[in-house]
Amino acid sequence: MPIFATVILDNLSIKYFLSALLLVPMYVFGQAPIVEDSLQTKQLEELIVTATRNERTMGALPMPVFLVPKMQIKSMGSLRLNDVLTEQTGLVIVPQVNGQGNGIQLQGFNPDYTLILIDGEPIIGRYTGSLELSRITVGNIKQIEIVKGPSSSLYGSDALAGVINIITDRPQAGMNGNFSSRYGTNNTVDLSGDISLTKNKLGVYVFANRYSTDGYDLSPENFGMTVSPFANQTFTTKVTYKLGSKTDLSVAGRHFNENQRFNFEVTSTNEQIKTSGLGEVNDWNINPVLTHRFSDKFKVIGRFYSTYYQTETNLNLDTDGSAYYHDDFKQSFYRPELNAEYFFDDKNIVTMGAGHVGESVQSARYDDIIVRSQWTNYGFTQYEWLPMEKLSIIAGGRFDHNSIYGSQFSPKFSTRFEINKRASLKLSMGRGFKSPDFRQLYNNFTNAAAGGYSVFGTEVFKDRFYDLVAQGQIPNDYSAVIREKLQPERSLAINAGGKVELLPSLNLDLNGFYNSINNLIETQAVALTTSGQSIYTYRNINRAFTTGIESNLSYPFTKYFTGSVGYQLLYAKDKNVAEAVKSGDVYYRDPNTLVTKRLQPGEYYGLYNRSRNTGNIKIFYKHPVTKWEASARVIYRGKYGVGDIRGNIQGEAIPPSDRNSNSILDVHDDFVKAYALVNLSVAKSLNCGLRFQVGVDNLLNYTEPIYIPNLPGRLIYGSVSYNFSKNNVKP
Amino acid sequence: MTKIKSLLSFLLLAFAAFTFNACKEDDPTPDPVVSTTISNLAADPSTGFDPNTGAPIGTTGKFALFSFKTGAAVANTDSATNKWDLGFRGTTIIVNSPTSGPGTSVVQIVSGIFDELNDGPTDGYKSDDKNATVKYAIPTGSGNGWYTATGGAPGTPTIIKPIAGKIIVVKTADNRYAKMEILSYYKDAPSSPTGNEPARYYSFRYVYQPNDTKSFK
Repeated sequence: MPIFATVILDNLSIKYFLSALLLVPMYVFGQAPIVEDSLQTKQLEELIVTATRNERTMGALPMPVFLVPKMQIKSMGSLRLNDVLTEQTGLVIVPQVNGQGNGIQLQGFNPDYTLILIDGEPIIGRYTGSLELSRITVGNIKQIEIVKGPSSSLYGSDALAGVINIITDRPQAGMNGNFSSRYGTNNTVDLSGDISLTKNKLGVYVFANRYSTDGYDLSPENFGMTVSPFANQTFTTKVTYKLGSKTDLSVAGRHFNENQRFNFEVTSTNEQIKTSGLGEVNDWNINPVLTHRFSDKFKVIGRFYSTYYQTETNLNLDTDGSAYYHDDFKQSFYRPELNAEYFFDDKNIVTMGAGHVGESVQSARYDDIIVRSQWTNYGFTQYEWLPMEKLSIIAGGRFDHNSIYGSQFSPKFSTRFEINKRASLKLSMGRGFKSPDFRQLYNNFTNAAAGGYSVFGTEVFKDRFYDLVAQGQIPNDYSAVIREKLQPERSLAINAGGKVELLPSLNLDLNGFYNSINNLIETQAVALTTSGQSIYTYRNINRAFTTGIESNLSYPFTKYFTGSVGYQLLYAKDKNVAEAVKSGDVYYRDPNTLVTKRLQPGEYYGLYNRSRNTGNIKIFYKHPVTKWEASARVIYRGKYGVGDIRGNIQGEAIPPSDRNSNSILDVHDDFVKAYALVNLSVAKSLNCGLRFQVGVDNLLNYTEPIYIPNLPGRLIYGSVSYNFSKNNVKP
Repeated sequence: MTKIKSLLSFLLLAFAAFTFNACKEDDPTPDPVVSTTISNLAADPSTGFDPNTGAPIGTTGKFALFSFKTGAAVANTDSATNKWDLGFRGTTIIVNSPTSGPGTSVVQIVSGIFDELNDGPTDGYKSDDKNATVKYAIPTGSGNGWYTATGGAPGTPTIIKPIAGKIIVVKTADNRYAKMEILSYYKDAPSSPTGNEPARYYSFRYVYQPNDTKSFK
């Protein structure tokens, strides 16, 4: 393995170090650096930035927030973001819309309803709807902050279910470095290295990661692999510079590149065509941040984030190597923002901000050569008030104005009341919204094979529809069709819960949530051509709700062992269907007797892909003297149904759950079975800075090739890391 | 083609007809209506697929015609007559009305449970009209009329399933009413069709009221 590692490091290529220098200009981190003690002492004050946009003590925040610290990520032996998130209560890793890749489900929302940020800035490239979580390495993550419930009042679009903010490492005092290599099943190699240097006013942090895997094949009888071999590289850098006693500058840059080779069998008019393909993903971002403290009470932060994402896929015929299929997608995003924080006193804090977002996409997927752009102007404000020692209130709102769908106002109100030292209550209410996605705006599809029906995104629709009108192909009155505008999807949510210390150190965290979602976007036939073909576009049609309870119980049952149990109960339903069931208008046909019956209230199970019960049990062991660490985690996902996704995995159809002819999920249907994953890890650190870890994920080797292609079988790994620190100057 | 008489519903319906009759002595005695199930009505099935193009072969393009009055299939040579009510070809169902045939039959789809539908609706019936935006009184397309089509990803079959709770009510040319519920689109009505079974074989049940009343009791 070490030999192999060296080879790969050489391959890490000059390119990345060059781009490092290009990206490196300058970086000074915004807020005053938190003193991070060595790992022996437990952090007493866990600070979290996502909930208010400023650093606040986690325990005092009035909304449901969670934090995954670096220590825990290391102990779990995780490599990619999905590895970490899948083990957190209330977060469920689900396959993406296209059946492959990973997305995160939070409070029953689909993956594209959770905003994912790195250091407060959005990651782009949701070209199939959700963000591919495996794009993000955990090697440079300081902590992951999770805010549940809508946060559009601070973050605007997409923060309907919540926000996951990945806080990355920053330059530390003195000189520090860490190198790690890991080898595991499927020839998976992960190499990471970082160096942090601070001298006088300048701080530099550089991180590089390379991840490669041979992939895996859950159904070897079919052509191609379930996940084909791929390799990716991440390079990030942060430079901080103290311009003056009150002014800090920081510049952060990131580049990610991934290449994947795959073999794919295409079915074309009953003929099987073998192809091989190459897919490439690239994304870059740069974020200069200037922080100035006018006084102890008044701080202003200015930033200019810009990012670019591009992906390209080519398929060539195996027979003669000629091009068979091409797909590309390019997206750019920039956002200047000014953010001010003013402390009237310890009990009154105001945060205000304003910014502009410019966004554009171009894709062969939409059969559209035009670069499609939109912009948003926004402003937000937030008031934190502590009228009494035991009571805190945060109220705020954000106004967004978008060039396509107009204005949105998203208020939020949260409050926390401390009953006594052992019990506190939280209540939070807010609105969330999600702007229409690229498909809903720019889809441009006419199915020549199936008779010529068309599906147009709302932005493309105007042009194409007027073309058809001009050609005399629209016989009916179409004025109403033209007038109707697409609105963002909107939610109204309430989160209520609290924390109670049942026994000394035995803590129970409870949160109940209800999300009411309106304006859900679906395709709808809006016109007919003279030749009788339907024209579809996107409209705000559906309504849904998700509700449930989440609970976390944690207990350090000896000095070295900590145990925790997490559980989420979830109901997620389509409101229209639920009402139809209630009024007795939904039926099902028993597939065996062919007798049709009326579906009774209570028999409607809910939306597809939602498990009513999910949970986890975790035990962590850590001995500060012997420096042994161990963990055992069990992750459970209850049964759930799948809709008709018209997809296939390696050529095999994915049968939908509905088997009684009503197109909804009810208790009489087939479900994907419940399952539990068992993950184990053991680590030992030496005083010289070396750390060894071995582990196994999915010990029981559970797989479900058709429904859960993103779940590989048992993975065994071993890793070595080396940490050095020349920490002469304490900050 | 086989007929299965549902004895139980026969008795129930006979009883219902009897009590109904007992109240209104002036009415002529109506014949008791019966629920009949038709299995495997072949709606122009294919004999196979072209290995090169994947297109179905062996289809004739002709509709399988059915008469509720006789409860039997009608030869396609009689397509230009009033002898049939509905015609089946693939997922398309035509009604013997202008642009589909010489007749004046009309049809509509109502939601509900077959046995609970006691009377045919007074109005809302439609004829086929090739010149209208919706060509057929029983609309074609997944979710529009009597079926949903699921699956159908490249290389995988489409599965046609009759939507539960859809009842087709037919008003025949001679003002008689029939209600029908389609049960399966595949040969021998498999409980969980995969789409690979011989398709275009209809199983359905129906009640035909031979008398001049909308009642299906």
